Amino acid sequence: MITYDAIVIGSGITGGWAAKELTEKGLETLVIERGRNVEHRKDYVTEHKPSWEFPLRNARLAVGTQGAEQYPIQARTGQFHESVKHFFIKDHRNPYVEDKPFTWIQGDQVGGKSLIWGRQVYRWSDLDFEANLRDGHGVDWPIRYADVAPWYSYVERFIGVSGEKLGLPQLPDGEFQPPMEMNAGEKFVKAGLERAFPDRRLTIGRVAILTQALNGRLPCHYCGPCERGCSTGSYFSSQASTLPAARATGRLTIVPDSVVHSLIYDAAKHRITGVRVVDTTTKQTREYAGRLVFLCASTLGTARVLLNSKSPSFPNGLANSSGVLGHYLMDHHFRVGASGAIEGLLDHYYQGNRPNGIYVPRFRNLGDDASRRGDYVRGFGYQGGASRQGWARGGGEPGFGVELKRKLHDPGRWSMGMTGFGECLPREDNYAALSDQTDEFGIPVLRIHCTWGDNELAMRKDMAASAAEMLEAAGVKDVRTYDANREDGLGAEPGLGIHEMGTARMGRDPKTSVLNAYNQAHDVPNLFVTDGACMASSSCVNPSITYMALTARACDYAVAESKRGNL
Amino acid sequence: MNRATISRRRALQQVALLLGGALSAPTVAGVCSTATRRAWAASPAWAPRTLSAAQLELVATLTEHIIPQTETPGARAAGVHRFVDTLLTDHYPTVERDRFLAGLAAVDAQARSRYGKAFVESATGQQVALLRELDAAAYAATRGDDAWFFRRMKELTLVGYYTSEIGAMQELHVSPFGAYRGDIPYTAVGRAWA
Repeated sequence: MITYDAIVIGSGITGGWAAKELTEKGLETLVIERGRNVEHRKDYVTEHKPSWEFPLRNARLAVGTQGAEQYPIQARTGQFHESVKHFFIKDHRNPYVEDKPFTWIQGDQVGGKSLIWGRQVYRWSDLDFEANLRDGHGVDWPIRYADVAPWYSYVERFIGVSGEKLGLPQLPDGEFQPPMEMNAGEKFVKAGLERAFPDRRLTIGRVAILTQALNGRLPCHYCGPCERGCSTGSYFSSQASTLPAARATGRLTIVPDSVVHSLIYDAAKHRITGVRVVDTTTKQTREYAGRLVFLCASTLGTARVLLNSKSPSFPNGLANSSGVLGHYLMDHHFRVGASGAIEGLLDHYYQGNRPNGIYVPRFRNLGDDASRRGDYVRGFGYQGGASRQGWARGGGEPGFGVELKRKLHDPGRWSMGMTGFGECLPREDNYAALSDQTDEFGIPVLRIHCTWGDNELAMRKDMAASAAEMLEAAGVKDVRTYDANREDGLGAEPGLGIHEMGTARMGRDPKTSVLNAYNQAHDVPNLFVTDGACMASSSCVNPSITYMALTARACDYAVAESKRGNL
Repeated sequence: MNRATISRRRALQQVALLLGGALSAPTVAGVCSTATRRAWAASPAWAPRTLSAAQLELVATLTEHIIPQTETPGARAAGVHRFVDTLLTDHYPTVERDRFLAGLAAVDAQARSRYGKAFVESATGQQVALLRELDAAAYAATRGDDAWFFRRMKELTLVGYYTSEIGAMQELHVSPFGAYRGDIPYTAVGRAWA
């Protein structure tokens, strides 16, 4: 049997990065992926397909509708449409038990969710890395911004990020390509908002979408639906970016259709020696040997692999001497905010489908008295955008016939919406554990227990109220707030943000954390976890770029340690 | 082939050139296949799978009232009734499909009680008069089941029409690929983007 220098589990955003870094540093690397192979360009089967070529016209396949039968969980996200359903997992392939509503959205292919992610990328700051220490929720991060900053730069230069520099301490600037443009409605709201609140900013979203060519990838051509796949490689995905770089080294092997059952631990060596997988086609078990393992199976996938890797040394799951494995699960809470109408500007329009919106960086609890809230800790940011109403408005108003058709020939009034993305506190009683059920591959499935706490619920009130206050101050009319959260129901339940993180947190103390400052398991030196599972707190910004930076940093450390003979 | 189709194809060819011919095969096939394009509105082999011939004609008549032919073709030419049948067959849960079919039956029942004929056999003026009442009721403050049906009928007509090739390319237009322009005079565009 071949013994690989490194085995990477998962080929999504972090698995792709681990594959690139490890192969480029000379390691023969095996990437194990549970899903099918998806080849760049060739397998983007719905890319650029016009609406009329979809039998259901790219309908949203909601829970309970035909077309969503095999996707009762995936269909909960508004992103689940006819055009992209082939990039979501069929839920029978990854069942889990929900104690309370928790929506686990997954890809099931090479590239994972990097094909369908939201592409918004924001650096963390020390406001985030010091948050646990300052307010006592969770354990202190073992790293600070200065540790990660060069790795953010390294990642940004490779993936390509377009955005505007703001000079804000709570949202550090990065290595940006030119920003995308705001439309007239957004410029109007920006001007009014920043006039009324001089300490707040409204900027164009920082996105991993090119506005200039980079490494053979082309700038965005604004067709719109990135999530169908992009032949020009204009947004970051494993397919467009990291996997080609890894492949170019000649040291990459990818095995798709192989779901990891567990990691094989050698108690005498205190090391992992290999990975046990189940072939999803034949259901046969196989083993691979490796000297180093990077676990990048997505937050809950990673937790499941570790929990299921039991041995006499680790009866409660591998690298779990602390007992915290599976706990401190988090997600961003969202689907709360406000929207309204902008009067006038009817002689202004736009051209192109910009796959990006606006961003309002966090302005609460920044450490000064002015921004401090008495009713909750941490903070939130807003994503949103302005647009002119399209033909769909005709369904909400009386009228039909020639008059209606003439009216819908022109766009309607401008509207502007803002949705908050809020930080979630790390709490022990939000957790994933093994249930007593197994899936069709014979692997125990997770039971997930996760709810929003008082802090998130208090923050949501401010998220709605502040959005309305800012829109009104900016001159937006008919402002309405919304909050989709329903107690113990669906609407804004945990998981829906698809920013699930935690369960194998980093920390300074092996008694209270799973990973050290380099994403290395305290208990198992040759095991690294660099996906969202490693997170000790959640910040309020989209997490993927932080996972990428931590992955690249961990690879650098792992290879150096390996050369020193420490792994 | 109309002007908008040409411009869409040109836009895709530009992307293909940028890619050095790497545009995915399904993409090119999807856009350039006239056979697929015609399938919606004109295929003689097409047959409804949920609606009866009479129901299909009723749906076609209703959609054409909602989005009629003007300088550009209307809902019937765009095959919206076929789209409705597809949705009812392949997408709607049974309860919702039955509710929609009951709504259709109610329209006919109202036409019969008022005009003594099925809706499609009533005079055009009679049809319009009935639809005006349904439309007014559908957006009134207090609404019943008729309201649900007419609003749904209207929504389906708009989706079916404006996502059809005729609706998206002739009546409105599809944004060309290339640059994004965030703030341009509306007069430079002149129609809503589909």
